[in-house]
Amino acid sequence: MTDTDDHYSMPLRRKAEFYTPPNHLKLKVGNGGLTENILNKAQALLENNSVDFTPLAEMYLDAMMKGIEQARTPNASLNKETIISAILFPGMQLKANGGMFQYELVTHIADRFIQFMEVIDTVDNDALEIIIAFHTTIRAVILGRIKGDGGKRGEELMTALVEACHRYFEKETQAKPQQNNNRYTIPE
Amino acid sequence: MSYSFDRVRILVIEDNQPMLEICRTLLLTFGVGEVLTAKNGEEGFKIACKENPDIIIADWMMEPTDGITMTRRLRNDTLSPNHYVPIILMTGFSEKKRVVQARDAGVTEFLVKPFTARDLYKRIAQIIERPRQFVRSEEFFGPDRRRKADPVYKGPFKRDSDIAAMAAQDIRKKEASLQLDKLRKESGLLKTDKIGDIDFDVDFK
Repeated sequence: MTDTDDHYSMPLRRKAEFYTPPNHLKLKVGNGGLTENILNKAQALLENNSVDFTPLAEMYLDAMMKGIEQARTPNASLNKETIISAILFPGMQLKANGGMFQYELVTHIADRFIQFMEVIDTVDNDALEIIIAFHTTIRAVILGRIKGDGGKRGEELMTALVEACHRYFEKETQAKPQQNNNRYTIPE
Repeated sequence: MSYSFDRVRILVIEDNQPMLEICRTLLLTFGVGEVLTAKNGEEGFKIACKENPDIIIADWMMEPTDGITMTRRLRNDTLSPNHYVPIILMTGFSEKKRVVQARDAGVTEFLVKPFTARDLYKRIAQIIERPRQFVRSEEFFGPDRRRKADPVYKGPFKRDSDIAAMAAQDIRKKEASLQLDKLRKESGLLKTDKIGDIDFDVDFK
């Protein structure tokens, strides 16, 4: 390739302009990155924060329950995405914040919950059962103040929830086989 | 020699007060000179206009203005003091469609919660060492959404495809080495013989 045959010597047809802003930040901070010592100190501060996550978690669980109640009560003015979002977004907050405040098991469970919510078509009765199971489990972890990954019990809870999700999708696939040929399934 | 963040100002926008405090503490531990804070996208935009920070770290889900809406304003609003300001978006979402949504709003880097101190540092270092060029098209203004390959990159490879490529490369190297040994043996050469020292009489016909 030569300098002259970039883009096969054809003019650019889509109107796009490129800018390279000056890198003021690099001039300010210099070179060399941060030392391991600073990064370890920052990580230690993060791991040893003494914030009580339970009030925050209760707030997100309450918001999720409101979403569940909304899904239970048919309302023609709400579309499917609004109903799903009202349940999904508090779940995302639980996933995001659990691990920041030492509740890793909450993050793991909520992550599975998000993966379920992201692929369902609608919040039907079967989906609601699964959602409530997730809600109840996360609540139990919070009330029991189970920090970390929850050990063997945590693993068992996760397995039970994931299996319930698989059963939901198997049932759905059997009910609507042709529509679900290419359906995404939640990963192991 | 290491980074000196003492002249850097970072605006953190987060509606969750404990999380806001954590981010602030981490950044101060990194040595950041000034950490500004706001509790939602609306307030964040106003502070950004007034203070013109070097970096903005914003949560996605906030009321009344979320991180995505605020990013669009910072990129496109005439009131914005710096349309190129690096924006790191924090969120619990990691699904591809959400990442694409954030990218299309003009976010520079995506930080999935929960994160470690090192994760946050990596995003900041990425902004400093590999700043994205900006693109203006009919529908989009923001950081170039393609990340160019760095031919001199010497860091760790983390993607499954990278690991598979490295494994394949190892196999090819071993096969090539065996093939070379075989050729040496057939030619009566020693491992210490340099190819340049030998006269080849090759008939290419």
